[in-house]
Amino acid sequence: MFLERLIKFFASLRLTVVCLGFGMLLIFTGTLAQVPLGLYQAQNEFFRSFFVYWQPTHSAWKIPVLPGGYLLGGVLLLNLVAAHSERFSLSRKKAGIWMIHFGLILLLLGQLLTDMLAHESSLHLRVGEARNYSEADRAFELAITDVTDKDADKVVAIPERLLLKQGTVNNSQLPFAVRVDKFYANSAVTNQAAAGYEAAGVNAGFGATGIWLKSEPKETDMDLRDLPSGIIDIVTPSGSAGSFMISAYFGAAQQFTTGGRTYTMMLRMERFYMPYSLRLLEFKHDVYKGTDVPKNFSSRLVLDRPQTGEHRDVLIYMNNPLRYDGVTFYQASFDQDDGGTILQVVHNPSWITPYLACFLVGAGLITQFLSHLIPFLKRKRTL
Amino acid sequence: MNQRLAGCACAALLALPLAGCGNDDVKVYKVAKADDSTPAPNAAPAAAPGEMGVPPAAAQPGGPQLKWTLPDGWTSKPAGEMRLASFSAPGKNGNTVDISIVPLPGMAGGDLNNVNRWRGQVGLDPISEDDLPKQGQPVTVGDSQAVLYDLTGTPAATGGMSSIATGADGKGRILAVGLHREDMMWFFKATGDDDSVGLQKDNFISFLKSLQFAAPDASAALPADHPPIGADAATPPMAGQSLPPMGGDAPAAAPAGSLPTWTVPTAWTSEAPSAMLLARFTATENAAKADITVSSFPGDVGGLLANVNRWRRQISLPPLDDAGLAAAVTSLTTSAGPASEVDIAGTDPKTGQPAQLVGVILPLNGQTWFYKLLGDATVVGHQKADFLQFVQSVKY
Repeated sequence: MFLERLIKFFASLRLTVVCLGFGMLLIFTGTLAQVPLGLYQAQNEFFRSFFVYWQPTHSAWKIPVLPGGYLLGGVLLLNLVAAHSERFSLSRKKAGIWMIHFGLILLLLGQLLTDMLAHESSLHLRVGEARNYSEADRAFELAITDVTDKDADKVVAIPERLLLKQGTVNNSQLPFAVRVDKFYANSAVTNQAAAGYEAAGVNAGFGATGIWLKSEPKETDMDLRDLPSGIIDIVTPSGSAGSFMISAYFGAAQQFTTGGRTYTMMLRMERFYMPYSLRLLEFKHDVYKGTDVPKNFSSRLVLDRPQTGEHRDVLIYMNNPLRYDGVTFYQASFDQDDGGTILQVVHNPSWITPYLACFLVGAGLITQFLSHLIPFLKRKRTL
Repeated sequence: MNQRLAGCACAALLALPLAGCGNDDVKVYKVAKADDSTPAPNAAPAAAPGEMGVPPAAAQPGGPQLKWTLPDGWTSKPAGEMRLASFSAPGKNGNTVDISIVPLPGMAGGDLNNVNRWRGQVGLDPISEDDLPKQGQPVTVGDSQAVLYDLTGTPAATGGMSSIATGADGKGRILAVGLHREDMMWFFKATGDDDSVGLQKDNFISFLKSLQFAAPDASAALPADHPPIGADAATPPMAGQSLPPMGGDAPAAAPAGSLPTWTVPTAWTSEAPSAMLLARFTATENAAKADITVSSFPGDVGGLLANVNRWRRQISLPPLDDAGLAAAVTSLTTSAGPASEVDIAGTDPKTGQPAQLVGVILPLNGQTWFYKLLGDATVVGHQKADFLQFVQSVKY
């Protein structure tokens, strides 16, 4: 009984209209919110959320005022599935309708998967340089590297998301815990006492001789990014091995030794390693003759994969990305001296879903059209 | 049947977004020791992604530029994200000496702080300002003079935290030079065990002498159409949307391609700006000189008080409070609206000679523009009118 009512509710056309109405409102308000919040925060608060909250000034309360993108998308998806199951039976006559609906479901699911599984990063290469990792555009990580061994370094990378929780991070690969005492997603740092700044009060590393920090509001400008800072304590079984300030302002690694092993530690852009490397052989910036108008940007690279012996040249240019091993490399930008290239690296396991969805919807529409057209023509002939 | 199907589908779909939420896993992996002499793909095993050499910062557009002659036996190493360059030199008993060049905009910290930081790294107690002059020896760095600090100690003495390699005797040694040059603080360091560093000391000194500073291509600070990283996203610590007052002058340049137009007084000579400046000029009278600099970067850069106090420190003046600031600042009309003008007189901390600074701070469209005339008090006095006219001539 309850299930029936639930199905009826989710299969209702009214629900579709209400969801679409809220969807329009969400897109409108979310677009306006980009002005004060910036693109990324607005995306997170309006579209990558179940509810959009409003926080009254000087209050810790947050009041949900709109359904967020996840909730609306989820309900629409349920609505589509439920309505379809309720109203359409599986028959040859309805094959086109089935294909269209399945295509729409695939499209919605595909976008959800893309949102959750895909990540984008950048690969900046100067001519002659090779790298086997790309870097996130905004997310940071605390990389703690055991550099003691002669052959290889062991890296334990703690994502910024964990640091923001300000707890204690334990990992079986580290003989110590990392206690995050403070972590600011965006910060300012100074080496002189100044109003509004708090003394880091650390006893080791770069800030040991005096450094001050303060939390800053998250950056909303598209062209800027947050620079996080924090204070951590390396907690060994025998006690603290030192408190450190970590900061995106420090471009160099801090080093410490504990338990007879030497570690470096650095808050850096999150890295995504690949089991192969790309080396930039040449970057070309073609312009239309006699003008400065760009005609084409292209990067000629060598792809090297020692494990398989693969070693080949690849050419990436505008609208001709390299798709390799589930990753797509787009020509995104370049250095102004034309001596380097910047590739956008997109890892999207569900990249195929929109293509499949569009194909299904298209094929469904044609099928449905033909399923009416052919009987109609036959009937006409018999008249 | 249909209802069951729909029910199951509903449950599955509801569970899907929840199952995918959160990706807070700590990543653990091995990387091969970097070797930039052959920046080819390394042979890391499939499950262990290897780390490639980081490009020398000197090769990065807009970064500080430096040339050198390497002493025999020295080899380049991956520069790292802060280092402009790194080298390895052979030491004793198979040990090596690590040599690094680190340019920092602003984060100078002052000589005493730097020396005490280095002393701490080799387990030596901090010294006072009075003792500082007794510590170093003069050294030539390119065309500049600086002080070389040669510090030997037992790093283990600093609570088990050591950043310096040590020899069998437990002793580590640092040769360190901090050079103020324009708006940058350059750190040159050689570290290793006592004997190895001693072996390379002469080479280090001759290396410092061989350095040649070159003006970077400021216009290439960042690509104009850089992907989401953003137009100000130079490698930290050059990045920073709202850097507070640091030891040096205002770091960070305006986004490439956003230079305004201006009319430069004929008496001024255009100089190559550093990476942190948009433009630099000099005005000279006899042997005396004044520098005119233009810089701009996002945010309020710590606010008016902090910046005025930063300028006051540059000519050995004590900081002001809010009340003092109101009296010290006057308004200057520019093409983009009113700006804050200060005219302060003090002494040059290096020479002890009278120095004067005329500065204009203009917040505009989320950026803050800094115009500064600084130098010999007489020259600044003569150039002030031209300077203000220059500031007013700027079209944004």
